[in-house]
Amino acid sequence: MSKINAPKSNREFIDACIKAGDAVRIKQEVDWENEAGAIVRRACELGAPAPFMEKIKDYPGFSYFGAPLSTYRRMAISLGMDPASSLPEIGAEYLKRTNSEPIAPVVIDRKDAPCKENILRGKDVDLCKLPVPLVHDGDGGRYVGTWHAVITKHPVRGDVNWGMYRQMMFDGRTMSGAVFPFSDLGKQLSEYYLPRGEAAPFATAIGLSPLAAMAACAPSPIPEPELVGMLSGQPARLVKCETNDLEVPADAEIIIEGVICPDYKVEEGPFGEYTGYRTSPRDFRVTFRVDCITYRNNATMTISNMGVPQDEGQLLRSFSLGLELEKLLRSQGIPITGVYMHPRSTHHMMIVGVKATYAGIAQQIAQLAFGSKLGPWFHMVMVVDDQTDIYNWDEVYHAFCTRCHPVNGIHVYKNTTGTPLYPYATPHERKYSIGSKVLFDCLWPVDWDKTNDVPTLVSFKNVYPKDIQERVLSNWTNYGYPPVK
Amino acid sequence: MNQWEVFVMDMTELAEGQDIELSIRTLNPGLQKYTYKRVRAQVSSSLDKFADQLQVRLGRGQLSSARYSIKVIEEIQRIPAKYL
Repeated sequence: MSKINAPKSNREFIDACIKAGDAVRIKQEVDWENEAGAIVRRACELGAPAPFMEKIKDYPGFSYFGAPLSTYRRMAISLGMDPASSLPEIGAEYLKRTNSEPIAPVVIDRKDAPCKENILRGKDVDLCKLPVPLVHDGDGGRYVGTWHAVITKHPVRGDVNWGMYRQMMFDGRTMSGAVFPFSDLGKQLSEYYLPRGEAAPFATAIGLSPLAAMAACAPSPIPEPELVGMLSGQPARLVKCETNDLEVPADAEIIIEGVICPDYKVEEGPFGEYTGYRTSPRDFRVTFRVDCITYRNNATMTISNMGVPQDEGQLLRSFSLGLELEKLLRSQGIPITGVYMHPRSTHHMMIVGVKATYAGIAQQIAQLAFGSKLGPWFHMVMVVDDQTDIYNWDEVYHAFCTRCHPVNGIHVYKNTTGTPLYPYATPHERKYSIGSKVLFDCLWPVDWDKTNDVPTLVSFKNVYPKDIQERVLSNWTNYGYPPVK
Repeated sequence: MNQWEVFVMDMTELAEGQDIELSIRTLNPGLQKYTYKRVRAQVSSSLDKFADQLQVRLGRGQLSSARYSIKVIEEIQRIPAKYL
């Protein structure tokens, strides 16, 4: 693990991206009201380099970094890998590192923590002093947290949780956020703080190292500070907050400290969401009161602009959700070849390749996946055989359209847990986080005779003898065709 | 004159001729733009009835063509004292 050379801070990451041609410096002034958001959105839709906006209207000394992990190239850079690494290579590296020994974080002295270079307390606390962007026109407010970690600790068990719960600036001292009831923080609030009417300490860290952000976004059971260490091959550097006992990433650009008010809600949203829509309406949601703000000199605020694919909301969640589900299925001894969520499915469809050795294996996969803690975040499982390349949508789509029996292959599960963000859900379902799920079983039934009942796949690699395939491949350019990339 | 904006799910939330409670955000230029206040106010579809102007958005951010004038009677402090 010592050979990992991943960027240790957001600043190192920006430098690495610029060096690789995966970020651009924007030197002209950019408006925090819509313009910065529009640049990030367009970069996402084009798959363009990440914008590093060095001059922000009204906010001298601050900068923005947008779309930090909206491409697999930038994800490879964040892991210290060759930017040209393939998705299976990146996935294998993620699995290798997250299956390694945990690496505990270190807590450093506050005088050594860059995030303490500027401190606002008491009457000086004002979120309007930060360049909080209006990300999309028509959003319910300026969003402080779009690519960040909300850090909390369970008051009894001591579990630390870093989660990416969006946060809107309501006023200079108040943020409101979307915290779903099935999330770690949602459970903590409803089980402990709400019945007692006690305030819950929190800290929001913005401008994290890319792997800290990845950890905050990943649905892993490993505590995030240790997960950061495993991903980066070295201990995460943390520092104590000014106003509570929480520990935050010392190299983060901005830290916002305060308390969550479990029995007092204010309006939040609407907001452009990872599904590509504004689905969840304005509603009364969780309230965060701010007591202290600390930030680095020349702080860079990170912006994720969620909308139609693809941004990091889809890409990173698809990546980490898929791989965590792969771990789950392998832990149960299911002979899968892999799990993939295509970012364009907005992590709603889990594609699983499996060697179908017994009856009901697709249902077993779907029930495990839907019944897991990760289940609320997706509603479609498609199971294909081990000969189908799960990363190749053409092959998966062909399997779906030809092998999924309209009656026997489609299984619907009703009244499950959902999220208010599902665009297809009814208003009632959204309000109460009620979901429904579907399995597309694209496997040949195990009780079919493999010789006489199972159709033969007619493809170049399946119907021709090996020597003919090799002859054709080696003569391809001699036939007059251009080389195949 | 101040410019304000409000989000509503239904236009009937903007009842005229009576005091109503609203969360409104300022559209005045400056660092505070888009921050909210909870207020008791009166609104009117007659744009010159009150000095301040109110723009309306619907639940998913759609800008309504309806315009109102608004009189902010008082700011309301909703937050429980224990959190102040």
